Amino acid sequence: MKLIAKLTLFNTVSKLAIVLLFVSLLPLLVNEILSQYTNHYLRQQKEKVLAEVQQKGIDYYLQGQESYGSYTMLKEEYISLEPDANATYRDTIETSPRVIEDDTLSYRVLRHVFETSNKKYVLEVGRTTGTIGRYSQPLQRLALSVLTGLIFLTLLIDLVYTRIILKPLNTIISRRILNARFPFKDAAPPVKTTTSDFVYLDRCLVDLMKKIKDAFDKEREFTSNASHELMTPISILQNKFENLMVHGDVSEEIQEKILAMMNTLNRLKKIVRSLLLISRIENDQYAKTETINIYRMIGEVMDELSDRVEAKNLKLTIDIPLNMEVRGVNHDLIFQLFYNLINNAIRYNKENGSISIMAKKTQQGPCIVTVEDTGIGIQREELDTIFNRFKKSRRSSEDGYGLGLSIVKSIADYHSLDIQVSSVQEEGTTFIVGFP
Amino acid sequence: MKILIVEDERSLALEIEAFMMKAFYLCDLAFTAKVAQQKMLDSKYDFILLDLGLPDLDGLRLLELAKKSCPDASYIILTARGDLEDRIKGLDLGADDYLAKPFSLLELQSRMQAITRRKSGLKDSMVPLGDFSVDLSKRVICFNNQVIDLSRKEYDLLSYMLLHKNRPLTRLQLSEHIWGNFADDDYDSNYIDVHVKNIRKKLTAFAPVEWLQTIRGVGYKIKVEA
Repeated sequence: MKLIAKLTLFNTVSKLAIVLLFVSLLPLLVNEILSQYTNHYLRQQKEKVLAEVQQKGIDYYLQGQESYGSYTMLKEEYISLEPDANATYRDTIETSPRVIEDDTLSYRVLRHVFETSNKKYVLEVGRTTGTIGRYSQPLQRLALSVLTGLIFLTLLIDLVYTRIILKPLNTIISRRILNARFPFKDAAPPVKTTTSDFVYLDRCLVDLMKKIKDAFDKEREFTSNASHELMTPISILQNKFENLMVHGDVSEEIQEKILAMMNTLNRLKKIVRSLLLISRIENDQYAKTETINIYRMIGEVMDELSDRVEAKNLKLTIDIPLNMEVRGVNHDLIFQLFYNLINNAIRYNKENGSISIMAKKTQQGPCIVTVEDTGIGIQREELDTIFNRFKKSRRSSEDGYGLGLSIVKSIADYHSLDIQVSSVQEEGTTFIVGFP
Repeated sequence: MKILIVEDERSLALEIEAFMMKAFYLCDLAFTAKVAQQKMLDSKYDFILLDLGLPDLDGLRLLELAKKSCPDASYIILTARGDLEDRIKGLDLGADDYLAKPFSLLELQSRMQAITRRKSGLKDSMVPLGDFSVDLSKRVICFNNQVIDLSRKEYDLLSYMLLHKNRPLTRLQLSEHIWGNFADDDYDSNYIDVHVKNIRKKLTAFAPVEWLQTIRGVGYKIKVEA
């Protein structure tokens, strides 16, 4: 998951959680606020009444009567004054039912006991709970909508801000990693950002790439030098042997000895040449710009090898669509790949055996080419290592080190080809080359 | 035919010279680009064999300069660097051929002969061989004007042996000529035997081929009177 997606997801989820918490607490909160407010209101009313009594005397209310009671038109509020000699001085606020004109209603009631003119009076100020709860719903609704609006606003701001702040990271990823193709050319200018972490990351990547490029250049130079240094002495020896071979004094016996030396030298030459080829492939020294027709390519390879097919009396089947093409490859390397595979298919085949070379288009990639033989096969335990350099196997035991399949592997890797091998001993081997 | 061998590796230059002299070429040696340029001014050459890794001047640059002072010569690049770019650049600059070291002297001579034939456009390219005659330009072998059906590789083999007549050729030398860099040790050498057997069979149907000799333990030789 991308960082920006993670951040956005986290922001959204955390805000959603807060909203849910708030929504679940909202009725409680609102009711608490309302009850606090009501208590406060009732106390205020009480103070007003007491102030009146103080100023104007209790008779201002009683007007000669024993007790006093007053309520508003819809009985939402009431005040009552009653003498009660046994009352204790204790203020209470509680919710309790009161009967007013035959209506039993639930009230929030403040009860206060005070003494005036040597008489104890109980003052009650009440308010219907219905009136109190009236504001609960609209209040909750308002709070919720304001909250929702704010959450959306912060989410939007978060999103835009994370986008802006993470933009340099995206630039670094695309410029340094996704678009960087080996071998790296000179590094692009540093990414502009005020975030020091990104500056550091960018600088580190540039340094790293420069190091890789330097190592790569060094290796390329080494290959070139090594090739020169190794090939020159081999060249001198080979030419000396060639001249010696026809020297007048050389007997037939000596000639055979020279031949043996030439063969050994040739073996050395082959190994050095193969290693240099692999090294050059791995150093990216071959252009992959050509388009090849598979049918024609196999035809070219068979031009070189058809004599061998005849000599072993092999049955050759080629089934390749005439117009099948692969792009972005190196002609010479792909030629060598198929040459090595088909040459092996002939070499390790039995007399009167058969070879079939097939190609077909698949849905995943442009095409796959199969080279199948009826040869001696490869032992199961050797299958995993046949592409390894210098892995001596039964197949190549007669002629020393086999680098042919290592070359095939290098070429396949270089072109991102998928190469698979399956084999049944004494029945045959199948190589499948898949072009991407 | 006169050759200038431009090669800083002395012992290699001497081997090339020894071989070419045996093949009746006149040879001059130059171990540096400076000497080579002087020699090119002094005399005319048919062939200039040019090593790219010279101590005092890049071989490709020398080729560029030499093409001006010796435009008629044929140039063959000899290099151990093996860079693909060098090969392309060299041929672009007008080199006639390119041989990567290590190369066989026999192969070098064969390439020189091919260049000569290409450049001179010889009409009369029939070479007698026993009771047969080889047409080097049409690349066929005939018996009494009748073309004998040889495969391309069989013809290549025969003409290579003919070029190096009276000289024992190893199976390796022959297979390197036929398959080039793809030649693969003893395994390919065995196919040389198959090809020679086929050549013998096809030709013997017309006339005896006692000139095509097997040299036991070594290889083959075409033996004809000089």
